[in-house]
Amino acid sequence: MRKVLVIAVREFQASVRTKAFIITLVAMPVMMGGSIAVQLLLKDKEDISSRGIAIIDQTGELHGAIETAANKRNTEDIFAKAEERNGVQIKGAQIKPAFEIKTLDPPADAVDELKFELSEQIRNKELFAFAIIEPSVIDGAGQLYYYSNSPTYRALPTWLRTTVNDTVREIRFDREGIDPSVVAKASEEVRRQDRDLVTKDASGAIVEGRTTNRAASFAIPFGLMMLMFMVVMVGASPLVNSVLEEKMQRIAEVLLGSVPPFQLMLGKLIGTVGVSLTISTVYLAGAYAAVAYAGYASLFPTHLLWWFLLYQCLAVFMFGSLFIAVGAACSDMKESQSMLMPVMLVVVSPMFVWMAVLKAPSATFAVIVSLIPPATPTLMLMRQSIPPGVPTWQPLLGVVLVALTTLLFVFVAGRIFRVGMLMQGKGAKFGEMLRWALRG
Amino acid sequence: MNVIELQNVTKSFGDFRAVDDLSLAVPEGCVYGFIGPNGSGKTTTLRMIMRIYHPDPGAGSIRVLGEDDYGAAHDRIGYLPEERGLYKKMKVREILAFYAELKGVRNTKAAADEWLERMGLSDWADKKVETLSKGMSQKIQFISAVIAKPDLVILDEPFSGLDPVNLNVLRDAVLDLRRQGTSIIFSTHDMGVAEQMCDYVFMIFQGRKVLDGTLADIKDQYASDTIRVKIDGDNGKLGNLGGVESVMDFGQLQELRVKPETDTQELLAALMQRGRVEHFELARPSLHDIFVRIAGPEARVAIEESVKQEALHA
Repeated sequence: MRKVLVIAVREFQASVRTKAFIITLVAMPVMMGGSIAVQLLLKDKEDISSRGIAIIDQTGELHGAIETAANKRNTEDIFAKAEERNGVQIKGAQIKPAFEIKTLDPPADAVDELKFELSEQIRNKELFAFAIIEPSVIDGAGQLYYYSNSPTYRALPTWLRTTVNDTVREIRFDREGIDPSVVAKASEEVRRQDRDLVTKDASGAIVEGRTTNRAASFAIPFGLMMLMFMVVMVGASPLVNSVLEEKMQRIAEVLLGSVPPFQLMLGKLIGTVGVSLTISTVYLAGAYAAVAYAGYASLFPTHLLWWFLLYQCLAVFMFGSLFIAVGAACSDMKESQSMLMPVMLVVVSPMFVWMAVLKAPSATFAVIVSLIPPATPTLMLMRQSIPPGVPTWQPLLGVVLVALTTLLFVFVAGRIFRVGMLMQGKGAKFGEMLRWALRG
Repeated sequence: MNVIELQNVTKSFGDFRAVDDLSLAVPEGCVYGFIGPNGSGKTTTLRMIMRIYHPDPGAGSIRVLGEDDYGAAHDRIGYLPEERGLYKKMKVREILAFYAELKGVRNTKAAADEWLERMGLSDWADKKVETLSKGMSQKIQFISAVIAKPDLVILDEPFSGLDPVNLNVLRDAVLDLRRQGTSIIFSTHDMGVAEQMCDYVFMIFQGRKVLDGTLADIKDQYASDTIRVKIDGDNGKLGNLGGVESVMDFGQLQELRVKPETDTQELLAALMQRGRVEHFELARPSLHDIFVRIAGPEARVAIEESVKQEALHA
């Protein structure tokens, strides 16, 4: 056992003391936070060149209102909020494009020619889009047609639809002799507030449920799942290279002259658990600090901490032994890349179903997939973090199943490791690995 | 006591028999040299002694330091593999400490520094392994094999690729270990080194043992059949003299290989009939000669022939 520890300590130091580890440790949250920051930044960096749109209003009643709405938008809504500096009002910068309306008289005939002509203008970039409002829209029959070759730009068609609808509605009310302000008052929306369940405190007094924090109820399960995933990826996947190095540099032979192969593998796995615990400690502490700083410390799922750590250790052992088997079976980096594919698929498989599990955490589907061992550390943990949690037998059964799978994986990997470590020249074929695993 | 006892050990990889029915006994406190051509089973044998490989099931037994099974014996054996295995990113002193700790040494720093000093590598203790030259890393590898003061040291080609100065340093270190009572086995392709250093020489060829004994024994075994002569007169047709198997003509000197139990006195008398005998020597062949005689092209042809014959009869 002492030798196992010597191996574990070296493995831990070799991983943690590299620049790559520190960079990854910092880079992961920076990259994740960074992508959010970039999106926030780019939200205001819209292309603000004006969009010209030709309107053919076959009702003859709507274009005036559309032009008015566009003018109002172009003078008021497309700028950032005005700021007051030293008592002087500073107009905000333009952050959205202006919509320039060009109303065309509907032709008596040859509508198709006009449509083609306008399409050509759009192709020549003289115009951004054009729209045709059918005469019967006010009666509720016709449609609004929007033509453009930029179908992904949604702001203009959305604005146009809203504007046309608002205007049409006003005209309809007018025709029926209804005062629009009455309508506005009558269609005032009822607001909803989501609350947690009502509880009793120690003195027996009933405590009203807190306002449900929707961001937190989504972010916590997602965050826990991502963290688990990251810890396995960052912590355990370097085992492939570590084993390959020992194999290619012929260090394996020296090591195996001092330590039985199984102890060597066990040492590497324990060292890797240490690495992954380092990562999760840093991230969990960071997340707690961030949440506490924002004043939501009570939302932090401290009750799941031990579960998290248990799942994490099991996951590192389970996937780590697979990574070790891959490293031992390959003879160079290139080979290991293709060999890693199936293992990676197993590791990321929970990512394909987490959405379904998040939406219906108590459904039979969610219960079953979260009991499949490779998915248990991520999906069971996720389900536990969604109120009201899961019956205790489920995580317990999950842990037992994961532990059994881990034992199997470690056993199989140990056999592949023992043979593979001293094989030089060529990598193992799948059939050979199977034979090693079965016969030993 | 024998530190290593191999009895009828066979090891196959698939259909290939790397080691075939090998028996060997290495006495305590000696230097035992392993020779043999490339691919003849030296490394496999050494790995079996290290218990990295296991013999085929039921095919022979291995006792090392008096123990049949795994475990404690490991810590008393030092091993230098044929190809050097060092973590490139580790510092020299760290890797020595690591290998020593794996063998159960507690205070590793003092031992490491002492060895580094002795090998002239003190300045490199805090450098990374990847900055070392080939010779230096070989010396580091040697230190890592012996730092735990093992009772038995197994060195797979420790001297290959070393310059003469470093070779001397390493050789002195090996002989020093022997003086302290350590048993040493090493394999080598350098027959000169083997002759100078080994108490016993062991040769393996195509998985089988072909030589095993003290250098003197081996030479005696091959000594009586080679005679070097120089005669002033007709030196052709020496091959038709009684008892002569073959003649190798070196120009000034002829080497006769004679059948066993040939009376050399009679041969000398017969030679004197041919002319004036200027030189007559019962030659002791060098280890190099013996090696070539066993594993040279002639021997290989003979082996192939006998295999074919066997196949025909079978």
